[in-house]
Amino acid sequence: MANTAATTDPLNGHDKSVTDSLPAGNDLKLLIDAVRSLPHPALKHLLSLKVCVRCIFRIFLVHECLYSCAKLSPSLLYSNIENGSESEGELNINEDYVCRICLGILQFVYYDQQNVLVKSDSARDFALMIADAVKKEGHLVDSFSLEVSLPPLISENENLVWSIIKKKYHSEEWYQKIVKSELISTKDVFKLSLTSPLESLMGVKSGLSSFRIRLTYTNLDASKNGKSTAEKIQCNKRRKTGADGVDSNSIVPTADTENSNVGASEEHGSLESFPAKGLENHENPDCHLEKVNQPCHLTFACSRAPMYIGGRYLKYSRNVSQSRWIIDDERMGEASVEEIIGGNILPTCLGDGYKFHAAGREDIDVRMLGSGRPFLIEIQNARLAPSDVSICEIESRINCHESRHVMVKNLKVLGSEAWNLMREGEAEKQKQYVALVWISRVLKDDDLETISSFKDMKLLQKTPVRVLHRRSPLEREKIIHWMKIEKIAASSQYFLLHLCTQAGTYIKEFVHGDLGRTYPSIGSLLGCRAEILQLDVTDVKMDCFLAEKIQ
Amino acid sequence: MKEELETPKLSEEEEELKRLLVPDVATLPLNPPSAVQSNFVTYFAPDFLKPGHDQYVHRHANGLCVIGLASTHVAFKDEGGITSVDFNVGKSDRSGVKVTGKRKKNAQHFESNTALCKVSTSDASYIVRCCVKGSLLEVNERLIKQPELLKSSADREGYVAIIMPRPADWLKAKASLLTSEEYKKLRVDCTTQDSSIS
Repeated sequence: MANTAATTDPLNGHDKSVTDSLPAGNDLKLLIDAVRSLPHPALKHLLSLKVCVRCIFRIFLVHECLYSCAKLSPSLLYSNIENGSESEGELNINEDYVCRICLGILQFVYYDQQNVLVKSDSARDFALMIADAVKKEGHLVDSFSLEVSLPPLISENENLVWSIIKKKYHSEEWYQKIVKSELISTKDVFKLSLTSPLESLMGVKSGLSSFRIRLTYTNLDASKNGKSTAEKIQCNKRRKTGADGVDSNSIVPTADTENSNVGASEEHGSLESFPAKGLENHENPDCHLEKVNQPCHLTFACSRAPMYIGGRYLKYSRNVSQSRWIIDDERMGEASVEEIIGGNILPTCLGDGYKFHAAGREDIDVRMLGSGRPFLIEIQNARLAPSDVSICEIESRINCHESRHVMVKNLKVLGSEAWNLMREGEAEKQKQYVALVWISRVLKDDDLETISSFKDMKLLQKTPVRVLHRRSPLEREKIIHWMKIEKIAASSQYFLLHLCTQAGTYIKEFVHGDLGRTYPSIGSLLGCRAEILQLDVTDVKMDCFLAEKIQ
Repeated sequence: MKEELETPKLSEEEEELKRLLVPDVATLPLNPPSAVQSNFVTYFAPDFLKPGHDQYVHRHANGLCVIGLASTHVAFKDEGGITSVDFNVGKSDRSGVKVTGKRKKNAQHFESNTALCKVSTSDASYIVRCCVKGSLLEVNERLIKQPELLKSSADREGYVAIIMPRPADWLKAKASLLTSEEYKKLRVDCTTQDSSIS
């Protein structure tokens, strides 16, 4: 953030590096020097057109560091023009106008959300209002990113004024100099003016950040002018052809869209960055100048991008569903993993809401044991980012709950790439289960061998009847990687079946056969009827969200 | 890691897991309910359109109905058992239609008396009907190659078709079906009185 202004020619010192506001002593002097070096007929002309000081500076490529100065008023300009006394008498110094070009944006004048006209004395004043609004929302942030959206009308206005200048001064030497460079955009100056004061008021730096402050300016009054619609369209059309080779056609507002400038252009609407300097034959550039300019309507919004907190969960209950499950206003099951985890995280983050994502799911009556299942909680518009200590507290709160339905492990704040990490390979990952199986005859030792002998056995599963109402009727080939029977001491017909399968395999149907629609099944392999009484997931074979490996 | 259960030394986690997995046998029923009994409610249509043509409807909580022949169906009384099952009845071959997608496109809409298939024994043949008005999602094609499944496993692998009725149509159908209890009483009463079924 070097202070280069002192050594740069104010007229041509346009360089894109962000500079801090100047030490007080130099401030006024540099400003006055800059003003004095501007061509005064053009300056007076622009002032008479009711262009604000910052827009005038932009046109003349005045150095960026001068825009943040507090006392940028027309009277300052007048009093420093050569032969100042002459001009004072000539013109009525009316400072209370809305700029022709920026419609008050660079003057920090606007209509707020209650349609009240608000004026600020300076950029800092305006920044104070923004900082207060952020505070009111309750946000605690460590950085911010400022996003500004301006109505396309501004670039139109800019082009118009520029064409007036060109028409009158094209032969001047100073004109030849400036026409070669890009005009400094309204948006750039606006952001530049605001960024430093916001940084110091909020106590944090601006830049790439998950916390976004969005200022949207719209202007609904564009229709009020003396011109007829037809003539306006003509003006527009001419502007279309004049552009510098960039396809600015698509963004030129027509007579209709001018009336509805809501949701205005994105960051770099081409007309803003590339004024139509090559405009030819613009017959009546004054056509818009009779209109009454209304300041823009400003909508302020700030929010944090979704925050991701993830880990692995275990489910010990056979009456808790994974996600909130309500049928006909009645909850199915006692609780849900989603609500237990999300409900404990949301209040700590002071967010608006949460979404639960997991790598696969298990039925309400199936327990999730072992190392747990990877999950992510997406917190919307969190007001504060939980510390490591807070995260530990949340983990304890969930794990020590008296019901012991759900436990979480490795809870941590993660970046948005965690989403992809979890989804990637979800379909390939193997899962391991233990099922409590009953068969219609006595278990023999041969049976244990039979079952263990199958490796990577292929299954054909028709869509189970229990989900057929909402899924496509398909036949899916699945693989059982291995199986093993564990005898249960006190029983001759019950046993534990351990198995490792491809993701997406319906285990219950593999045991009971689903009316013969899953083949082979345990029943068909053992030549009898088989029923499943209980199922537990004992391992979700995925690498993500394990204690050691989190980035 | 958790695959080899015979490993002599198990970690604390693995021990804990083992404890959770092994059931308390004392609480286990000697004869647990079957998957059909647990997941469906079974209704009966005795003498459906014709005497002795007893059919069942297994209705799932999600609304789907599995249709089949009840064990008391007259077809099972023929000696020699079921010789063939033919789905080519009525205007189309029911086994030919491919229903696709979540919305069950291409499913045929049938009335309760629409024929599903023809079941033949060495002596005679019998028509099996839908019993419930709705969309035909699937027929049991295995019956074509293994018609004996009908008798050996009438209420499971020998099912005939799966139908998806609209809620209103189900309520209408249900009104004329018997519950398991009612059906058992009916058939038991009949057999104790005399052997003819009317």
